[in-house]
Amino acid sequence: MGERWLVAFASVAAALVALAALWLVGTLLVHGLPELSWTLLTAAPLDAGRAGGIGPIIVATLLIVGVAMASAVPLALGTAVLISELTPPGSRLADAVRRCVDALAAVPSIVFGLFGNALLCKALGLGFSILSGGLTLACMVLPILTRATLLGLRSVPLADRLGAAALGLSRTSTLLHVVLPAARRALVVGLVLGIGRALSETAALIFTSGYVDRMPRSVFDSGRALSVHILDLSLNVPGGTERAYAASVVLLGLLLAINACASLLAHRWLGRDTVGLGAIRP
Amino acid sequence: MRNAILILLLGAAALSLWARRAEDPAHETIVLTGSSTMAPLMAAIGKRFEESHPGVRVDVHTGGSSRGIADVREAVATIGMVSRALEPSESDLFAVPIAHDGVCLIVHRDNPVRALEREQIRAIYTGRIERWSAVGGRDAPITVVHKSAAHSTLRVFLHHFGLRNEQVQPDVVVGDNEQAIKTVAGNPDAIGYVSIGTASHDAAHGVPIRLLPLAGIEPTVENVRTGRYPLRRPLLLVTRGRPEGAAKALVELARSSRCTDLVRRHGFVPLAP
Repeated sequence: MGERWLVAFASVAAALVALAALWLVGTLLVHGLPELSWTLLTAAPLDAGRAGGIGPIIVATLLIVGVAMASAVPLALGTAVLISELTPPGSRLADAVRRCVDALAAVPSIVFGLFGNALLCKALGLGFSILSGGLTLACMVLPILTRATLLGLRSVPLADRLGAAALGLSRTSTLLHVVLPAARRALVVGLVLGIGRALSETAALIFTSGYVDRMPRSVFDSGRALSVHILDLSLNVPGGTERAYAASVVLLGLLLAINACASLLAHRWLGRDTVGLGAIRP
Repeated sequence: MRNAILILLLGAAALSLWARRAEDPAHETIVLTGSSTMAPLMAAIGKRFEESHPGVRVDVHTGGSSRGIADVREAVATIGMVSRALEPSESDLFAVPIAHDGVCLIVHRDNPVRALEREQIRAIYTGRIERWSAVGGRDAPITVVHKSAAHSTLRVFLHHFGLRNEQVQPDVVVGDNEQAIKTVAGNPDAIGYVSIGTASHDAAHGVPIRLLPLAGIEPTVENVRTGRYPLRRPLLLVTRGRPEGAAKALVELARSSRCTDLVRRHGFVPLAP
């Protein structure tokens, strides 16, 4: 009796979640698909985004996310390795670093935006630029990436590390050839979550990467992110709603494509399911 | 793994090469920050300016009117965009209006109510009056159409009627002006507020809506321009001292009749008739 209720509740909950997702994507597609065209993807925006395309905005978005991930991934990897591999359990240093990461995760994105604006744009003189926006986003995704990497490293059994040590492998070799490949699924999950967060961020970017919808010539130029463009079309441009839907469809597509690429690359690079001796170069 | 590191390093090197700032002394950049209401219009005006001024770039950023004022004071921006009248504490800045933003209340054309008092409008929007019969209309429930948060017309409306957003009891929440007009045109018992530019254009083109006067003054584009109609605000460009050089030319272009079409397309009221 009790079990039947549990099954019923779980099924209804799952159905509602699926319905919400389908509804959301469905609405986007119904409003956005008719506007979608090759011109939209390549041309520059005209008339405040109500005509023309979103080519420069897609390029700027990819650059911002690229800068963010390129600077956040090594830092997150290093931090997680320090906490998990290089410090003994219960270490004060590891604890302090972990607390800092948690504090970073709790900061609202608008605060990151104002911080990026004050430090990167003004104090460091980067101005409104893709670099400022990307670095601000890097601070934001750092806790997500660090957390995911840490979980992944922790999930690798101690026996693997002991076995590697017994074979006389150095810490570096153990990390590169045993621990990281074994933790790759968690790393990919972290990467995908981080990219998702970076792609969807709006508040932090308005104050850092800016609003200019011209094709960026370098990362020192300002560039408008897709999420900022969608916000602007739906709030500030009369008659911009349909174009906002179209841009949302593109953002969704971009997210799926980048995630697919990220997991493909990560599996290819770290894709050894069994660690053989042939993989180990002393 | 080694391949991965190699690719990462190559990528970083390529990025840094490409990232070297293109130092080009011939290029002058005018930076505008401020009101998100004005940003799309100024971006469009900036593009028109760039066409006739090769070598000058106009970069427009948003963040709100107060940010525009702060950025101009700190010289982060050349020109600030402010979509309200300057306060006495801001008189250190030089302000030039480029257009006005007027907001009016609209009802369906078949609604017998011809005008509403300030207090009646406040009561309708806070839910104290729920039927049209209480203000001299048919015996029907009032459908209150409200804007989603952060819309510029919403801010003007709330400010004028001394309301806070959480006091408002809406029946329908819409996104932009067009949506609000469609909602009211399709519901004889609805009331909404929209930008005057858009509403008077649509009413003149047969959309079944009526623009309600405020304090006895008709909401016409002309009355917004002359300042008789009270529910309006100026759209200002502010600078530290009088603008010079390219910035001066940009401000002059934005005010001039050469940009009237852009001002109208964004739902605002141009300075010149």
